[in-house]
Amino acid sequence: MDLDTETQGVAKDGSNTQGVYIYRPVTSAKAHGERPSKRRKVQPEIKEQKSESHPFVPLLDGEENESSVELRYNAYRLLWSTQETKIQEILDDVDSEVLENVLSFVRSTSHLTYDGCIPTALITVGSNVSSLGRLLSKLNDQLAASEEGGVVILESGDAPNLKATLKNIIRAAVTNTEGNNGYQNFLTDREGPRLLGYDLDLLGDYVKRKGIKKLVVAFRDSEAFDPNILTDLLSLLSSWLDRIPFTLLFGISTSVELFEGRLPRSSVALLRGRYFEIHGASNCVDRMYERLQADQNGRFWLGRNITGVLFEKSNDYFQTPEAFSRTVKYAYMTHFFANPLAMLLSEEISVNRQQGKVCEAIRNLPSFRRFCEHLLDDDSTEQVRSLLENDEFLFQQSLKYIEIGQQRMRSIFHVVKTVYLCLKSMDIRKKLTIPDLSIRALSGDLQDSTYMDDLLKGLKTLDSSKLKEVLAFMPQDLTDCPDFQEIKKDFEALVQTYQGTEPLRSEYDSHNSIVAATVVQQRVKLSKSKARLPQQNIEYTKVIDRVYALSEKYFVETLVIPQDLFLHEAFLLDMKNPLKEIFSPRPRFAIERALANPFDYLMSMSDRTEARISARQPATAILYQLYLESGALVNVYDLWQAFYAVFESEQGDACDERMTMTLFYRAVSELKALGMLKSSRKKVDHASKSAWIGL
Amino acid sequence: MLPIEIPRALSQNWPCRELQTRQLASLLGPLGPSPATLVVHGISATCKSTIVRAVLSALEVPHAIVRSTECITGRHLLTKILWATLEALGKRDEWENYGKGRCEHVSTLAVLLSECLASRSGKAIEKFVLVLDGIDKQREAPQTLLSALARLGEIIPSLSIVLILSATPRPLFLQAAGVPHISFPPYTRNEAISIILNSRPPTVTGLSAEVPPKIYPHFVSAIYDSLVGPTASSIPTFRSICEKLWPQFVSPITNGETPPGGSEEWDFSRLLLKNRGLFRHHGEAALVHHIVTEEPTSFTNGSMSKSMLPAVSTPSPLPSLPYFPTLILTSAYLASHIPQRLDTIFFSKFSSSSLSARNKRAHHRRRLKLLSKAQAEDARTASNDPSTPSKKGKRQKTRITKSTLESAFATSSATTSAAGATGITGPSTILTARPFPLERLIAIYHAIDPNPPANPILQAAVSDAIYAELATLRRLRLVVPAAGRESGGRMGLGSGGLNSGNTTSDAGEKWCVNVSGDWIGEMAKGIGVEVGEWLAGGLD
Repeated sequence: MDLDTETQGVAKDGSNTQGVYIYRPVTSAKAHGERPSKRRKVQPEIKEQKSESHPFVPLLDGEENESSVELRYNAYRLLWSTQETKIQEILDDVDSEVLENVLSFVRSTSHLTYDGCIPTALITVGSNVSSLGRLLSKLNDQLAASEEGGVVILESGDAPNLKATLKNIIRAAVTNTEGNNGYQNFLTDREGPRLLGYDLDLLGDYVKRKGIKKLVVAFRDSEAFDPNILTDLLSLLSSWLDRIPFTLLFGISTSVELFEGRLPRSSVALLRGRYFEIHGASNCVDRMYERLQADQNGRFWLGRNITGVLFEKSNDYFQTPEAFSRTVKYAYMTHFFANPLAMLLSEEISVNRQQGKVCEAIRNLPSFRRFCEHLLDDDSTEQVRSLLENDEFLFQQSLKYIEIGQQRMRSIFHVVKTVYLCLKSMDIRKKLTIPDLSIRALSGDLQDSTYMDDLLKGLKTLDSSKLKEVLAFMPQDLTDCPDFQEIKKDFEALVQTYQGTEPLRSEYDSHNSIVAATVVQQRVKLSKSKARLPQQNIEYTKVIDRVYALSEKYFVETLVIPQDLFLHEAFLLDMKNPLKEIFSPRPRFAIERALANPFDYLMSMSDRTEARISARQPATAILYQLYLESGALVNVYDLWQAFYAVFESEQGDACDERMTMTLFYRAVSELKALGMLKSSRKKVDHASKSAWIGL
Repeated sequence: MLPIEIPRALSQNWPCRELQTRQLASLLGPLGPSPATLVVHGISATCKSTIVRAVLSALEVPHAIVRSTECITGRHLLTKILWATLEALGKRDEWENYGKGRCEHVSTLAVLLSECLASRSGKAIEKFVLVLDGIDKQREAPQTLLSALARLGEIIPSLSIVLILSATPRPLFLQAAGVPHISFPPYTRNEAISIILNSRPPTVTGLSAEVPPKIYPHFVSAIYDSLVGPTASSIPTFRSICEKLWPQFVSPITNGETPPGGSEEWDFSRLLLKNRGLFRHHGEAALVHHIVTEEPTSFTNGSMSKSMLPAVSTPSPLPSLPYFPTLILTSAYLASHIPQRLDTIFFSKFSSSSLSARNKRAHHRRRLKLLSKAQAEDARTASNDPSTPSKKGKRQKTRITKSTLESAFATSSATTSAAGATGITGPSTILTARPFPLERLIAIYHAIDPNPPANPILQAAVSDAIYAELATLRRLRLVVPAAGRESGGRMGLGSGGLNSGNTTSDAGEKWCVNVSGDWIGEMAKGIGVEVGEWLAGGLD
């Protein structure tokens, strides 16, 4: 892939970004086959408190001083904790409606209302798999709080066979209210013989003793359950229904039809109930993104590329909102961990924290260079000189400009929000999401996009009642300016004096144009003309014109390209790479590359550029490259001949055939272990190829 | 109650079972000795358990009933038998005396039961009936369980065992001769109708009291003849269908519609004519039970318009999978349904692998697809020469013609039966899903990707992403390892991947798609892949 950049990167500094290393597992002293030493409960040694309280390391070649490292760390902690609470709020809030419905379903139904069928809630979750877990725990809390019962959550892993499933159900139901000890006591402290762990009599007893009215058994990933076990379990539960008030709850990721189709008809006949839908993850993720980015007091933003990666992941793959938040967290972490300028984001930053190294780093920024060029264009050479020479001045200016930059970013997101709300209220675009607009805005082309055209066109045709609505959406920066106040005053005055029942319309409105049809030379001509407008509408048109001009001007001013802002490197993270590499690792690609081009990873000892295959490469790599040249079936003897030829051509007579053969055997078995080669049943002396490169 | 009086008393509640009731009552009655073992058999919903239970409680014979469905293992069953007996005899508190409440084996059970029954304070108990309900469906039962249980009654004289089976027993299945069998046959037409008529017709608001007695009997027999009889349904199904359809059936009356033919009143035949559609649509729907049923809507509108059907909040039949998994699933489906031999025809990028050639071919394929749709039959005959001019004489074999397909199928061993015919009639239905190796899935994925990467060399590593998503698809049992599928039985949709914990994946392990093609096609359309374009015979 990006071979060149990587190799260059390694060449530049191999010290801290080591691409390859040899994994050495913690070796146990015991040889293989010896008995492991007896395990003893060992008191964990109290680790010495590390002197440094944070895991960040000094940057700038290690010359960053301790306090600024701490600043970065604290800034990160503070920032992320606020963002995390926001995310949590959204997660708590997002499915509350479904929860309400499910709860009322659970409360209102029993086997009596469904003539002997088990009440069943089918919840389709789509790809939003984690949402069901949250929903269930909330449901459990609510039921437990009102002492009606509880929720037993079953995962497919809990159900290897019927006995274990029942045991798990019983234990989960009892420990839910009694705790683990309660369960043990429950088993032992009962009259009569000790029951088997999977006997539902236990549960029946428990239900009777606690007066439980609803026992919800939830199958979280119902598709993954073995249908046979499920069938058995359903028949069993339904025969106990008169003693234990079961309600079933199935989380379905595919579709209800499919779920029903996989169960035998006799099991389906035991169930009856309703269907609920949890909305897809994308809705939730959109809201999270909006909260994170378009916040009133935002200090740090994710750039266009990262947003792209995030939304590609969450829209195209199975990804939970939690995973989304983890990815965002990782992005934040990388920024504060690896960017020394992140210290400028700290709230404790002040002029006397300045530092020579940081100033030097600032001077090396591309945005600094552009900034200086700008200043030079404006003939403020003095300022540039002092920026270059005076650390103190530079630092002061940086703090000032970082503030300004953050303000600009906030305004950008205000505009994004405004555009979103306006377009929504004008009903122009149906499928419109904040992330879409944000990506545009972050790459700086929102201004020229069709969204903006639609908005401004729509603005012209608004009638007075709608205009009022839309004006309320306008960002505060705009509403604060005196021009806007004036327009608003005029507008309000106009509305005050106007008495008609119809809202005021501007001349751009289609209501106010007349289409005249005239027949000229046997052709129908349609001509549009403006209707004569009453005086108030003309006034209103003027107001609209002013609003249009003002907002257009404002949008053009605000929607700058974030990458043009001075010091955007500090408050805008826009690197795709660590994120993409970490969250979608490519082991197969790496293995194939290592085998096909081993010197991408290993140091080549010879100084001349090698032929593609040479004896200096590891034997497995040589064999792999030969193997790539073959078809689906490989004659092992041919392979060996080719392998030997590689060594022979290089070493001439000194080539030891037995040694080479050993290497060959080893390479074959390694390829076999990697799952690339297996013995073929078709021909005895052939091996079949089972992996192709580049897939 | 005397055995003679019992049938009359019970037939009030459970009609049409007088014969069986009389047999049971006389066999188990307190007066004479009872048979050691008694077999009661009949298919489900023929009132076996209920009658046995009712007769026993009417006779006031000490008895215990154990439901076999509630016992998970054979051992569990034996233990339950012991406890149920103890409980029935009022000796629950003395459980420690009888094997400490444990019973691991049938022989132990025999000893413990005889102790129980013998040691009644004062006099020994004369008769005890043990009912084992649904014993033929016992889970994890040892082979000898049934015959051993049948011997219990011989070992312990005062005990008699009633085995309730839902399957028809084989001859001598207890390895003992002379065991009395009582059969509960399915209800006949007349019996079934009279049972339904025994209960009152469901009340419908706005219906005068005279109407139901006149019309309901006809309605019930019509339902039996049209829906219940042909499908051999049980009484509960019968009843629920009647309850569901009755309000709709009489809705012309409740809505105050005027009967046709100038008569004053609705009679049965007029209602039947009016509601012909009811039996067809709703009736057949009523036969199949769905988990999510229509909420009992008020029948005020009553009309049988079709708009009522989709008004219910039915879930969407299509699962909502994200884009990438859908594409993988589609590739899996194609890999399963196209013989490997045909891969070169369908997916190969023949001459070169350069980007421009690829794009051109994709473009032509798309255009051909449109063209072939637009062109009529005559154009199709001339389809052997490509309708688009081929550039620079390059091999442009993009069009999948019938003849190429036929020749391909003729060589493919799996479909020789189909190839013999004049044409291929829906080969997609002939070819069953076959296992495929993962590498093939990935290769097909690359071939059908509707948004191929601009530079395929830079985007070389989709396979790693595919593995991750495939794991999820496997969890959802949409794509399963073929080995698990074999062991789970080939026919069932649901079986497959039995050991969900097993994640070991052999190098050449084969996989198989586990869902029907219809909605894969639908879903693929949603992401812009036309399955028919790739699938054998889908194009013509």
